[in-house]
Amino acid sequence: MKLLKKISKASASIIAGLIICIVIVITGCKASQAVAAKSGAQLWAENCQRCHNTPSPSSFSHDQWETIGLHMQSRALITDDERNKIVTFLKQSSN
Amino acid sequence: MNHSKKLLRLLFCAICIFSGKYTLLAQQSSADSALLDRVSTLEQQVSDQKQGESHFMVVGLATVGFVANKTTTTSSGISQKVKTNSMADADHYELSPMLLWRHGSNLLVEFEPSFDGYGLGVNWAAISYFATPGVIVRAGYFVLPFGTYNKRLAAGWIDKVAGDPVGVADLPPSSDFGVEVEGGLPMGNMKWNYDVAVTNGMQLLPDGELQGAGIVDNNKNKTITARLGWLPFQNSSLEIGVSGMFGKVGDAGSAYENLKTDMYAVDLNYVHNINPFLVNIKGQYNFIHIGDAQYANPADSSSYTFKNQTNSGFVQLSLRPTAGDNKIVKNLELAFRYGNFKTPDASMWSQTTSSYDIGLDYWLSWRTVLKFTYQTQNINNTVPAKLAGEANIAKSNSFFLQFSTEF
Repeated sequence: MKLLKKISKASASIIAGLIICIVIVITGCKASQAVAAKSGAQLWAENCQRCHNTPSPSSFSHDQWETIGLHMQSRALITDDERNKIVTFLKQSSN
Repeated sequence: MNHSKKLLRLLFCAICIFSGKYTLLAQQSSADSALLDRVSTLEQQVSDQKQGESHFMVVGLATVGFVANKTTTTSSGISQKVKTNSMADADHYELSPMLLWRHGSNLLVEFEPSFDGYGLGVNWAAISYFATPGVIVRAGYFVLPFGTYNKRLAAGWIDKVAGDPVGVADLPPSSDFGVEVEGGLPMGNMKWNYDVAVTNGMQLLPDGELQGAGIVDNNKNKTITARLGWLPFQNSSLEIGVSGMFGKVGDAGSAYENLKTDMYAVDLNYVHNINPFLVNIKGQYNFIHIGDAQYANPADSSSYTFKNQTNSGFVQLSLRPTAGDNKIVKNLELAFRYGNFKTPDASMWSQTTSSYDIGLDYWLSWRTVLKFTYQTQNINNTVPAKLAGEANIAKSNSFFLQFSTEF
């Protein structure tokens, strides 16, 4: 029983340590000034074509672009900032 | 008398002025009322159209086409030719509507049923929660983060040649039930991304093959799949990824209960405009290993063993002209793919396949493509005679005409 408690404590410590490390890594990740200054149009051109042709802004409505933005972020694993800028650019350009 | 006439004239003029003014006022009031009615109607129409916090939409993909094939099989010095043509065969037809439901900007439900030559199935059905920048949590049935082909490149309107690379799309099984955490993060001028999944895992069959365990796990152990991606350049043109998949695959209580599998994949994606072409290079290599065990020989129920290792991979290059003004030329894309697939030696399904694809695509729009692909495959079957196998060599040549679109 004592051994089990020891193992449980050790496991809990490892998991807690891992969570702390992940939080530090995630919160510590920042884009350089040059990357942060990129426009939505530039990010659209650079990131969409990694998998498929760059989409025409007029293909979907504003609400649809919001939904597709979330779907594509989970596929291509672009950053949140990139998704926001690309979706804003597509919505503005579809008018 | 004159005075009376003047008074009458003045009275007449006053009546005319007042009546005219009241007529104008009445007309203006009527116009205001009509305008207010119109505004009210428009407000109602806008209100009716408003989505609120939720949004639902259907997108999807459709792939249809024609396949002509000639296969020559040579066994013990005797050759046999078989010619077929289909519209299209099971591996080259798909209709998959994808249902997306978004609540606010944090919750997304994705469901993609799929009808192909093998029947009606489901590609994914999962709920994603966008918890915080760089962290997406998903639960349900989803595509495993093992390499990138299945998750990003398998759709017909994305793939540059007709069909999947041999041995990459289905081994290991592409989707599973479980929980996943993923995200993309900046790192100075670079980016990186991670994807970790805990799922039911796979099930080992008595002959040594693997299949998805399904919604009810075949043992108490969960399988961990993880991928780490790195984009070293500021323009995101290059991505290199490494993946691993680890877990027990044997049925609980069986002789294989503690048998483990370890699988690894590396993937590469490079897309960059090098004038006058958009250069697109993609590749993935999968290595699958299952621990040593005695397997059942279906020929005589005896047991036998072999090194249970499978390798598969592909490398693909495509070029699309970007310079010049000719629209027809700019819509063309030339693609080449080499694939290799090697199953375990001395197993029931021992085979080595080399595949070469060359294709010319015409893009009708950014999401609609007409593909002409010529494929040649060399398949070397080496199933040992003791397993009731018959060694043979098959050479297969196929021509594909394929139309694929995202809708």
